[in-house]
Amino acid sequence: MSGPLIRSLRSPRVWIAFAMVMGVGFCAVFAGAIAPHDPAEQNLLSILLPPAWLQGGDPSFPLGTDSLGRDVLSRLIYGARTAMIVAFFASVGAMIIGTVLAHISGYFGGAVDWIIGRLVDVWMSFPPVILSLILMVGLGVGLDRVILAIVLVDWTRFCRVLRSEVLIVTRKDYVSAARLLGFSHWQAIVREVFPATLPLLITLFSLEMAIAVVVEAILSFVGLGVGPDQAAWGQMIADARQYVYQSPWNLLLPILCIFFTVAAFNLLGDGLRRTLDVRLAETGH
Amino acid sequence: MIATIAKLIARRLLAAIPILLIVSALLFCVLRLLPVDPAAMSLPPTATIAEIEAKRRDMGLDRPLPEQYLIWLKAALHGDFGRSIALGREAGSLVALTLPATIELALSAMAIAAVLGIGGGLLLFHLRGSWLESVADLASILLLSIPEFLWGLILLFVFGVVLHALPFTGEVSPSLPQPHITGFLLLDSLLIGRLDIFASACRHLILPAFALGLAFSPAIMRVLRSSLFDVYHEDYIAQARLRGLTERQILLGHALKNAALPTITLAGVQFGILFSGTLLVEVIYSYPGMGNLMVDAVRNADLPLIQAIGLTYCVVVLLINTLVDSLYVVLNPKLRVH
Repeated sequence: MSGPLIRSLRSPRVWIAFAMVMGVGFCAVFAGAIAPHDPAEQNLLSILLPPAWLQGGDPSFPLGTDSLGRDVLSRLIYGARTAMIVAFFASVGAMIIGTVLAHISGYFGGAVDWIIGRLVDVWMSFPPVILSLILMVGLGVGLDRVILAIVLVDWTRFCRVLRSEVLIVTRKDYVSAARLLGFSHWQAIVREVFPATLPLLITLFSLEMAIAVVVEAILSFVGLGVGPDQAAWGQMIADARQYVYQSPWNLLLPILCIFFTVAAFNLLGDGLRRTLDVRLAETGH
Repeated sequence: MIATIAKLIARRLLAAIPILLIVSALLFCVLRLLPVDPAAMSLPPTATIAEIEAKRRDMGLDRPLPEQYLIWLKAALHGDFGRSIALGREAGSLVALTLPATIELALSAMAIAAVLGIGGGLLLFHLRGSWLESVADLASILLLSIPEFLWGLILLFVFGVVLHALPFTGEVSPSLPQPHITGFLLLDSLLIGRLDIFASACRHLILPAFALGLAFSPAIMRVLRSSLFDVYHEDYIAQARLRGLTERQILLGHALKNAALPTITLAGVQFGILFSGTLLVEVIYSYPGMGNLMVDAVRNADLPLIQAIGLTYCVVVLLINTLVDSLYVVLNPKLRVH
C-alpha cells in the first residue's frame, strides 16, 4: 500500500491535481477570512456591476455584483465552501454504505450477494438525476438534505465496482491462509480484504467528489439544493441565466469554478488510478 | 434470422417486466412515504380537516400501502396516471405531450455523440506513440470531466450570449406557429411543408443537442481506442499486414469491425444515461420537454405527475438498455448459439 502511494506522489499529474484541489479546499476552509464581503450582504444601489477592471466596475467589488448587489467574489468563495462540504460528506457517506455492502456481498457470496446485487440493479435502473430530484421532493432543501440525497443515490457506484474487486481478493491464498490461522470472517475482511481494495477505493472517492460537486450545482440550479440562505454556484448560475445579457460575467465565473473543481478531482482520480492500480502500472498504459 | 432477433428482443423485454414492477413499486413507496399529503395539496388552503379527510378517503389514501399500489398499478396499466395537482390535467396526457420533444433531443444528441465518439476514438488511436498522444489523452480526460450540465452552460454562453450565433431559449422561434400532428416538431413542420418552422426548430435544437452529445462522446472515444488497442494484438491484424494491406485498410476494414462490440455495449449504457441527461439540458435551454415538466412537478410536489414522469424515464432507459443488449447478441456471432 505504501509503495504505490509513494509512487503516485512522483506523478506530476497527481501533484497538479492535488494542488488544484487544495486551492479550492483553502477557499472553502478560510472563506470567512478571504472573502471581502458578507456573501448575503445586498447593495441595491450597485446591482449587476461588471468586474473591477472593466468600465463601470467598482474596486470594492473585484468580480462585480449580482442582481441583488451581492459581491460575486465573496459568493464564489462561499460557494466553494458549500461545494466542498457537500462533496466531502456525500462521498464519505456513499463510500461507507457502498464499501460495507460490497465487502459483505463479495466476501460471503451466495444468497447475500444475489440480494445485494439485485438491489443495486433496481437502484441503478433509476436514472440518477431523476432519483435525486424525487428524493429532494421529500427531503426538502438544505445542506444536509443534499448530502443525504447524494449518498442515497451514489452508494451503488462504490458497491458495484468494489464488489468485483472483493470477489477477486477473497479468492487469494493469503485470505484462506488467514482463515486457517484462525481469523474470524470479520477479521479476514477488515485486515486482509479491505486493505487490498483501498487503492481502488481512494480512486473512486476522488471521482465521486467530482460527481457530488456537479450534483450539488445541479440541485441548486433547479432551486432544490442547499436553500436560498447559502451561497452556491448552481444558484448563482440560475440567477445569472436571467440577466445573461446585462451581466455575462456572472454566468461565466461560477461555470469556471465548477469546471476547475470537477477537473481537479477527475485528474486526481485518474492520476491515482494510473499509479495505484498495480495491473495498470505494470502494463504501462 | 429476423425471427431469431425478434424472439430475442421479446425475451429481453419480458425479462425487463419484473424490474419495471419493482421500480414502479419503489417509486410509489418513496413518494407515499414522503411527508407530503397529496390530499391536502389538491385542495385549496382554506379546506377544513374534515374535507381533507374526505378527500383522503376519496383518493384511497386511507387504505394500506400495498393496496394503494395495486389500485395505482391497475389504473396506470389502463393509461390513467391520475391528475396533476398543480396543472389539473391528466398526468399521462401531459407526459405524452412533452415526450416527443425529449425524444427528438435525445436522438439528435445520440447521433452527435456517436459521430464525435467514433471520429475522436479513431483520431486518438491514430495518434498513438506520437508526442500528441499524451496531449490528446489529457484533453480527453478534461472533456470527460465536463458533464452535460456544464456543456449546456458553456455552449449557451459562447454561442448564444457572446457570439449571438444561435438561439438558446425554447424549441422554436415564438413568432412561428407550432403544428401538432405527431408531436415531433421537426417531423410535423415537414409534414405541413413549413420549411421556416423546420429551420427554426433545427437552429433551436443545435445547442442542446451538442451539449448532450459532447458530454457523452469522450466515453465512447476512450472505449473505442482501448478496444482498438486490444484488437491490434490479435493475429489477424499481423496477418493482414503480411498480406500487404495498408494501415488504413487494416484499421477500417478489420480492426474497427471487431472493436465495435465493446464500444456498442458502452454506448448503449451511455445512451440510457444520455436520455435522462436531457432533463438538465432542457431546463438550461427552457426546452419544452419532459425534463422541464419534471422540474416544475418537483417544485410543486405534484406527486401524480412526478410518478408518471419518473416511471416514463425508467421505462425508456430500460427499453434502451434492452435493445442494446439484443443488438450486442445480434452482432456477436459467438453469443448467437441456440
